[in-house]
Amino acid sequence: MNVMSARPRSAAPIRRPGLVVDGVLLLAVLAAIVLALTTDRFLTVANAKAILTSASLVGIAALGLTLITIGGSAVSLAISPSVAAVGMIFLSAQSLGLIAALVLAVLCGTLITGLQGAVVGYAAANPVVLTIAASFAITGIATGVSGGSTVSPTAGGYDRLNATPGGVALSVYVLIGLALIVEWTLRRTGFGRSLYLIGENRRAARAAGLPVGRMTAVAWLGAGALFAVTAAFTAAFNTSANVNLGGTLTFDAIAAVLAGGTPISGGRGSALRTLAGAVLIAAASDILLLRGYSTGVQIMVKGVIVLVVVVTVHLRTRGSRA
Amino acid sequence: MRARRPEASLPVAALAVTVIAFVLVPTYTGSALTSFDVYNMFQILARLGLLTLALGLTMIAGEFDLSVVGTYAVGGMLTVQAGQQHWAWGLLAALGAGAAIGLLQGGLIARLKIPSMPVTLATYIALLGLTSALSGGLTKTYSNATVTLWVDQSLLTYFSPRSLITLGLFVVAAVVLSLSRWGRELRAIGGDRRAARVAGVGVDRLIVGTFVASGVLSALGGSLLSFSLGSANPDPGVQPLIVAAAAALLGGVSLAGGRGHPLGLLAGSLAVALLAEIVAVAAVPQYVSQLFFAGLLGIIVVIDAPDLHSALVRLRTRLRSSHHPRTSIQESADV
Amino acid sequence: MSPAAEELVRVDQLTKSFGSTRAVRGASFGIAAGEIHALCGHNGAGKSTVVKMLSGQETPDSGAIRIGGGVLDLRSRQVAQRSGIALVDQELSVVPSLTVAENLMLGDQRARWLNRRRASGPRLRSLLDNVGLGHVDLDQPLSELGIGERQLIEIARALGQDARLLILDEPTATLSDVESEYVYAAVRAVAAAGCAILFVSHRLGEVLGLCDRVTVMRDGAVVATTEVADLTIDSLIVQMLGEAPHRSRKRTGGEAGKSGEVLSVGGLSVPGRVEDFSLGLRPGRVYALAGQLGSGASDVLRATAGLVPAAAGDIRVDGVVVRPGHPIAAARAGIAFVSNDRKSEGLFLDKPISWNLLATRLPSVTRWAVLDRQRWSAVLTDLVGLCGLDGGRTGDSVRSLSGGNQQKVFVGRGLGRSDARVLLLDDPTRGVDVGGRAAIHRLLRDAADRGMAVLFSSTDLEELLDLADVVVTMHKGVVVQRHDGDVAGSVLLREMTHGAAAPAEERR
Repeated sequence: MNVMSARPRSAAPIRRPGLVVDGVLLLAVLAAIVLALTTDRFLTVANAKAILTSASLVGIAALGLTLITIGGSAVSLAISPSVAAVGMIFLSAQSLGLIAALVLAVLCGTLITGLQGAVVGYAAANPVVLTIAASFAITGIATGVSGGSTVSPTAGGYDRLNATPGGVALSVYVLIGLALIVEWTLRRTGFGRSLYLIGENRRAARAAGLPVGRMTAVAWLGAGALFAVTAAFTAAFNTSANVNLGGTLTFDAIAAVLAGGTPISGGRGSALRTLAGAVLIAAASDILLLRGYSTGVQIMVKGVIVLVVVVTVHLRTRGSRA
Repeated sequence: MRARRPEASLPVAALAVTVIAFVLVPTYTGSALTSFDVYNMFQILARLGLLTLALGLTMIAGEFDLSVVGTYAVGGMLTVQAGQQHWAWGLLAALGAGAAIGLLQGGLIARLKIPSMPVTLATYIALLGLTSALSGGLTKTYSNATVTLWVDQSLLTYFSPRSLITLGLFVVAAVVLSLSRWGRELRAIGGDRRAARVAGVGVDRLIVGTFVASGVLSALGGSLLSFSLGSANPDPGVQPLIVAAAAALLGGVSLAGGRGHPLGLLAGSLAVALLAEIVAVAAVPQYVSQLFFAGLLGIIVVIDAPDLHSALVRLRTRLRSSHHPRTSIQESADV
Repeated sequence: MSPAAEELVRVDQLTKSFGSTRAVRGASFGIAAGEIHALCGHNGAGKSTVVKMLSGQETPDSGAIRIGGGVLDLRSRQVAQRSGIALVDQELSVVPSLTVAENLMLGDQRARWLNRRRASGPRLRSLLDNVGLGHVDLDQPLSELGIGERQLIEIARALGQDARLLILDEPTATLSDVESEYVYAAVRAVAAAGCAILFVSHRLGEVLGLCDRVTVMRDGAVVATTEVADLTIDSLIVQMLGEAPHRSRKRTGGEAGKSGEVLSVGGLSVPGRVEDFSLGLRPGRVYALAGQLGSGASDVLRATAGLVPAAAGDIRVDGVVVRPGHPIAAARAGIAFVSNDRKSEGLFLDKPISWNLLATRLPSVTRWAVLDRQRWSAVLTDLVGLCGLDGGRTGDSVRSLSGGNQQKVFVGRGLGRSDARVLLLDDPTRGVDVGGRAAIHRLLRDAADRGMAVLFSSTDLEELLDLADVVVTMHKGVVVQRHDGDVAGSVLLREMTHGAAAPAEERR
């Protein structure tokens, strides 16, 4: 089987993969819209709120991961443990008051992830291996310190994070606000621009004298802060925290970033795309739920969405290079 | 001037350290090791070995198959659901599914030249969903108790059919990769894919083959686990993947690809299995072994980090040239 | 000799286009069994594309490739290998993580399923001996060998495949003279055994000394195929360039001694590459390092730009010490570097031209770390004008530009910084067409006129003579001679290829 020989040879079909991809994509979107519109109770305000709420926690973490991915450090596999550890810190610091606990949580989250970022940035360590190591370390330390037990809040201030102003969960407002802030940072600041450059070509950035190590570390610091925000909301929602608080968040966040069309190789992507990816996955799960499909099918469709987006994005960027 | 890179010595060192620790366990617990402890260690190996081998093979080829745990779950579930009549049907279904998954992923990755991590992540999620949909999200029990008893019966004191199959597959992989051209070609496409292509290596075919092997091995791992437990769990969690990756890295492969050998992978898996058994026997808290893993992987990743390496070269150059009269002017040494 | 009668390989009317560029248009030539056939041409003449089609890396749009009379459909490298076509690629194509023996066996289609390393040991050994690698152990990892030795191993691999057609694409570019001699002898031996050999080279002396016939390409078409006996270097150059190379000689810069040195490099050493290099650069002048690959010229530039961690020496800009090995420190001191590898170490290909031009100037177009649109567009307009780029296309990705324009962007990025004092360029016109070349030369001259010190490396005599005020020749890591005044091209060439009037070869 020679897979290369099947490719068209003349000059004209070079544009064709892009068109085919566009066509398939259009059909898929149309099908999804039809499916959505014909689903009972999909087009209700309550349902929209439900979708946004379920997208919000994964979305905030995915925003953090977006910074890491755009900066060329692929992914962090230590999101869940970081969130669990920070969530435990957040709840046990409730006696200091909500604001102080939040600040402490963000500081700790920034520190945990920022340290990893410093190693990735300054030593060019492989982020995947490093974050696997970090996930062992964080879980180990968190278990050791907590004695493996579940942390309960030391005061009730955290409950304000579960507020629903205007009938929408607070985390949704925070998600949208943070998405706008991250997007603005990426687009309009020198940091954002350097991050895109470093992500596309680290060697070139280094040779051009860009501060590769510092910018990478800053991206991870930002990601750590966003993970910490996720942790605070998750812990508040669960009203208790143990080392399993993060759950499947690592892969959910990666899925949201990829479903938004940000390629894993770095240098491209945006916060709004990630937001769209998180909402897309939440909406798809919601449609399936309303139509009575099991959790298994929902998860499967999530995987298929990610696969389709990854392949599509890859084909389109390759098409534009041909 | 430069010492040999540590990739060859790493698996040996990891294995040696854990074996010594294992032998020294009695001095900590006060009770002698039994043959059952060794048997148990090999049972742990059987649980993670095939996953490590599957993941490790793709890593040697410069890819990273995150979907192994998904295939593992699907394989386990199909074994139970299709094998209620006869175990062979279940096994066949699992292996067939593993091969099909590998073919699909390998084909996509080789043909579209797409990075493997996002693709296999997507399949991982989809396969977990598929497993859950197959079982309705419930743990399914396997009623054929004879098979369950057979795979875990004690053989030659220390082994079971399950652990022997696992060990056997490591040996088969080692023999095939040592004796055939595939071994060097696998490392060639992992080390420098363009050079391998130019040299005339059938890169695409080899990638597809590697992913098929990876799929079949992970599915078989899932099957054996289901036979052993007498049940299949729809969600094995992320832990098996992380542990398998750690074992593979300890086994001397790198995420950059191009190096590693099945025997190294075996050594890495044995080290991890020994460690798990030590934790069990000595009743050491789980988190201590996690910290141990973190330390080992941390060392691996730092040894491999290119910019750290150049910083060391810079430091050495500076130390040497400070004895040199010509370059007497030095800035303050802040970094 | 009547070549047509005994032609083993025949290339007929090969055509290949990439997008709108027609890389090869109707190339035809033939190679006899036992013949060493040279393929020559300037950069961009289409040689590489012909080689890619012959070796199965590209499929022709039209035309035919015949070996021994039969038309071949070379869909992939493996098919080509199976048809008996061996290749030494222009780029080094051996795998560092494998051993020497494994590299020699890699991709060999005759190797059976079984790995017979032991059995083939003697054969591999003699392959290594043939190319002068008697000291190399078969089971040594390739990563322990130097670049020249790796290149020889790739050549040995191709020689050992008993091919019908052996293609060598610039095989000696990274080799010393002694190593090249081994290659010539081995190639002659393979030809004597009846193999057809296609030898692509820029070294015309080597072409005339080694080959039987020469096919010259220009702008994608074959100009002529000539017996080597009927050729001289000058007539070959005329075929390649289409007209006698003219020389414009105007030196504007360089009232020497007007001001102090901008950049001073003292005692710069890179282990194994450069020994004790010293040079002072004055503003307003263009300096050149003349040296072949492996001479250390490129390493001097990289080390000065902070990209070589193992570099030691005293580097100063305006008297202030720059720590070696820190690219950020070098950039901050006002050193701008243009690498010879613009794709992987230079440009951000998928990003717009504007981003690339301003990549190193982000601090000066931001206010409180936020991009300032007015400053951004003001600086951009300046730069675009300076580089002679199309102002309306600054939003296009750099990938969409031609090689020459990409190089302009790369050079322009270094020029645009008002704080840049020194511009270092490593082979700035590699892979750039004639028009782009002239434009880049103008850019460099302008930069010098505005008070920068410019230092570039090159092997191109014309470029060295036309552009540089001072030429420093290098050979095997040491400076041979500094030429401040006029100098004949032949002198430069001699010093670049043979070093000072020293004993013919030092021990490696």
